[in-house]
Amino acid sequence: MRNGEGHMGLSARSVNVSLGGRAVLHDIDLDARPGEVLALLGPNGAGKSTLLKALAGLLPYEGDIVLGDANSASLSPRARARRISYVPQRSLLRSALSVEEVVALGRYVHGGSFGGLSKNDQEAIDHALDTAHADVFRGRIFTQLSVGEQQRVLLARALASDAPILLLDEPTAALDVGEGMAVLRLIRSLAEREHTIIVVLHDLADARSTTDRALLLKEGAVVERGDTAKVVAPDPIRAVYGVRLIENARIGFEPDQDSSGEAPGA
Amino acid sequence: MRLYALLFFSLLIAGALGIVVGSGDLADPELRDTFLKLRGFRLTAAFLAGAALAVGGVVVQGLFRNPLASPSVLGTTAGASFGGQVALLLSGLTGVSSGLVSPEMLVPIGCFLGALGALAVLLLFLRITQDLLALLLTGFVLSALFLSMSAFVTSVAQETWELGRAVVSFSLGSVSGTGPRQLAFAIPLVVTALTACWLWGRPLDLLLSGEEEAQSMGANVTGVRWWSAIWVSVLVAGAVSIGGNVGFVGLVVPHMLRPFAGTQHQRLIPAAALGGGLFLVVCDVIARVIPARSEMPLGVVTGLIGAPLFLLLLVRLRRERAYA
Repeated sequence: MRNGEGHMGLSARSVNVSLGGRAVLHDIDLDARPGEVLALLGPNGAGKSTLLKALAGLLPYEGDIVLGDANSASLSPRARARRISYVPQRSLLRSALSVEEVVALGRYVHGGSFGGLSKNDQEAIDHALDTAHADVFRGRIFTQLSVGEQQRVLLARALASDAPILLLDEPTAALDVGEGMAVLRLIRSLAEREHTIIVVLHDLADARSTTDRALLLKEGAVVERGDTAKVVAPDPIRAVYGVRLIENARIGFEPDQDSSGEAPGA
Repeated sequence: MRLYALLFFSLLIAGALGIVVGSGDLADPELRDTFLKLRGFRLTAAFLAGAALAVGGVVVQGLFRNPLASPSVLGTTAGASFGGQVALLLSGLTGVSSGLVSPEMLVPIGCFLGALGALAVLLLFLRITQDLLALLLTGFVLSALFLSMSAFVTSVAQETWELGRAVVSFSLGSVSGTGPRQLAFAIPLVVTALTACWLWGRPLDLLLSGEEEAQSMGANVTGVRWWSAIWVSVLVAGAVSIGGNVGFVGLVVPHMLRPFAGTQHQRLIPAAALGGGLFLVVCDVIARVIPARSEMPLGVVTGLIGAPLFLLLLVRLRRERAYA
């Protein structure tokens, strides 16, 4: 984070969400702290993405969501977006905006509703593109990028808002192993800069390698919470997924020490 | 900048042609002043209507995230035209013109209400389904509905010869008879709405990513939608009230300019205003030189130019599978 609102955490108390008359989330409590990555885990349909959207203020909910010192419900959309930034799995953008123009959208929350970009805005855009390693394709058209490249641009767009809380919905879902690893390392480095990060992850091994704490959801309720190593453990995993967890069974990957640490094509 | 220079230069040439070309002879010293005045009004009306319709096109394309949307495709123009005809009919039948509100003022108000009504139906519809094809079909249905209601108004108006003529010529769309009083009402409307659309450019950029992402980036989605609908209605009302009941401008002009001006609204809107004005001024000059028994209606010319261009665009969009 460059400047903006300063460090802040997110806490949710008794959050309930109903979609189309059906209760999807039941009494969720969670706390996310600056400098930490919190994982939302669970099988398909457990309500991970719904919870993330509710936390971002994109879905109606009951209960309390507090961002820093303010209740999310009392904030205007812009004030909320200055505190919390949501990165969707894929963007619905289909228009021919350039990468730089897409990242500039993140600056809308600052300055007036009307008028153009200030010098400060431009600096934030440059900084965000640089942090997300997206500066190399800043002049290209967003829709013509690969999914992995788009994911980094969306991250840069979120970073440009200077919001201290970041919510990411399956950021590695459609990426290859190199791209996925680059995004996960980026998430780690953002946490080191005191961002508060909540991330929905599908891959439990990724959760173990990248996140500090985790919330395991099943059918809209929390089954297990705590350190990721404690949550991604044989008993809870068997209870939720119906599979046995075997330590060190899968092949693993690590960044190539000889390369710059960037995914190829970055 | 080169784009603006080119647009300005072309506009100067088209404007000069708009003054010189026509059936009247400027060499006649007695009539010259009258001709120049009439053509000046006409030129202003064509430019204003073109600018308004092109920017209206840019905004509805962003608003509905649909490259094939435009005020005419969505039924907004037909709504405005119907509203204007009703206003004409009312002022004609009741003789309001002698009262507080003159017909020059009543017609833009009618056009605005008609346009806003049409857009409101679409926005409410958008809350039920986000399907873009369904949206275009609804616009088509609205258009057809307004046209048939306009036919009814026309038939009622036929009972008085002069009123009938006024309603028919209004619905045909022609800037040839636009007078200074109509312009005096339309100019502030259109200029205000053009400025407002430019000011709303950034939130409109956010809407290009869809409702959820726009909201997550701090946009008040409902507010942006309704304000945009109001500004587009003002633009279309301004255009239609001065004879700009013409199709294809809002569709063709933004698409032709996007490759050069980009997609960002604050860059595209000024270019579209100039480009749209230029397009209608040129169409109006063409309408005057095409040999016909009487002058060809402007809407016929924009249709003849716009329809093939629209089909070309459709082919290109299908090939690129994206907004151009």
